[in-house]
Amino acid sequence: MKQLAPLTKLVFTVAVSIWAMLLTSLPGLGLLAVAQVVTLAVCGLLGRTYKGILSLTGFAVVLILVQYALGSELEAAIAGGLRMIDMATVFVILLATTKMQSLTTALVSQCRVPQEYAFMFTTALRFIPDFLAESKAVREAQACRGYTGKGGIVRRFTSYLALVGPLVLRAVSRSETMALSLELRGFGAGRRSFSTDVGLKFRDYCTLLGMIALTAGFTAGRIVYGW
Amino acid sequence: MKAISFENFSYAYPKSGVVLEKLCFEVEQGSFTAIVGPSGAGKTTFCLAAAGVVPHYFGGRTGGTVVVQGIQTMDSTMGELAKDVALVLEDYESQLVAMTVEDEVAFGLENAGVDRKLIPQMVRETLQLVGLSGREQCEVGGLSGGQKQRLALAGALVTKPDILILDEPASALDPAGTEELYSLLGKLNEQGMTILVVEHDIAQVLPYIDQLVLLMEGRIAVAGQPEAALRKMSEESLFQEVIPPLQELRFLLEKHGCRFGAWRCEADAVRELSAVLQEAGEVSRSA
Repeated sequence: MKQLAPLTKLVFTVAVSIWAMLLTSLPGLGLLAVAQVVTLAVCGLLGRTYKGILSLTGFAVVLILVQYALGSELEAAIAGGLRMIDMATVFVILLATTKMQSLTTALVSQCRVPQEYAFMFTTALRFIPDFLAESKAVREAQACRGYTGKGGIVRRFTSYLALVGPLVLRAVSRSETMALSLELRGFGAGRRSFSTDVGLKFRDYCTLLGMIALTAGFTAGRIVYGW
Repeated sequence: MKAISFENFSYAYPKSGVVLEKLCFEVEQGSFTAIVGPSGAGKTTFCLAAAGVVPHYFGGRTGGTVVVQGIQTMDSTMGELAKDVALVLEDYESQLVAMTVEDEVAFGLENAGVDRKLIPQMVRETLQLVGLSGREQCEVGGLSGGQKQRLALAGALVTKPDILILDEPASALDPAGTEELYSLLGKLNEQGMTILVVEHDIAQVLPYIDQLVLLMEGRIAVAGQPEAALRKMSEESLFQEVIPPLQELRFLLEKHGCRFGAWRCEADAVRELSAVLQEAGEVSRSA
């Protein structure tokens, strides 16, 4: 999976979502989920992603229970939950096997997404660790001044504002500096090149053909056999 | 042609008072200029004006002109100026925009449309220059403050700008790192790059600079060759806190008739002061 071009993986993401919509049988949807988990395991990424998968599964169970409680048939509710797992897991595969820079390059150069939007996506991910580190620093700084997250819900909520304020202000300041930095480094000033090679190789074409074949098969199966 | 030329330049941010007032100042091609001044003196705004950020990015009110490499900043865009001028901001962490070290350095090259095949080599060379060789695949978030500051510098250097402006570039570096950084900037300056740096620790930059500027309340209080500028600052008691103690001692001894050569580093000072002390000892022994 890591060897494939980002565009192939983007198409794979869309294809899995289509397959999840085409399939209606529980074994089919379950098999699709299992196949994705196996893919992660084969790529050696299950250890890094299992927490996310488990969270997704937990969320799917809640979704199934809610649907069932609201009057859906049990089979339909389980199918809905499995579909959610299928569609979300493929994004885990995409993000775990693709460098963000490569993904941005593919989105801009091959999918013709405006570079500002593609870049916004990358940058948001880039700042998550910084934001977490900053949140820890603010929490520690406020703890030195007597901040405590203990107490009732109202007390906790009000005390949490002591963290949110500095964090938001810092985030705004950061985003302003970053926007300035982008301009200073010539972002959007002219024709851009990309350091990452995201061109499709022979294996990508084979994979794309395979996906087309599978999609055609699932469509035919749905129409002819009612899968 | 001057590298940077401030011609009667004044500037005020939107909804603020005047930050820079009637600046007349020139930076020679291939020179190394240090800017000092107390907080709020306008040092950062001075750097931003030299890179065309003010007024292009912040708006505000301006008077006079800033000419960079023969181009009036008001008639140009920041993107166009970026080909000639690179700026490393004081908040270097927010300046880093990519996920990995390699991507961060390549970013400027990609924006400039440099051929993909040339980028990896240029990135490697620049990382080697700033001492981050071998960290190409490291995540930016995992670097230390000093490493991030070096990375910001690498991001600025990789496009080989004619003018490099740095706003307190050594604020997160340890003394050894600071020395390495200024040694590197000194080498780049020898190769012809014009360097403008905001720095509080004059002793660190003194071996390399050929011009020292003291900004106070948005005006240039002192500007000139380092030794003359420091002397003037000492004599007129202007922002004396930043004058290196050895230089203060020198000016004091000179008032008592001692004569010294040009001191560019502590070693020069120690050598000459030792000679003076030795001479004084011999005089007192013979007396």
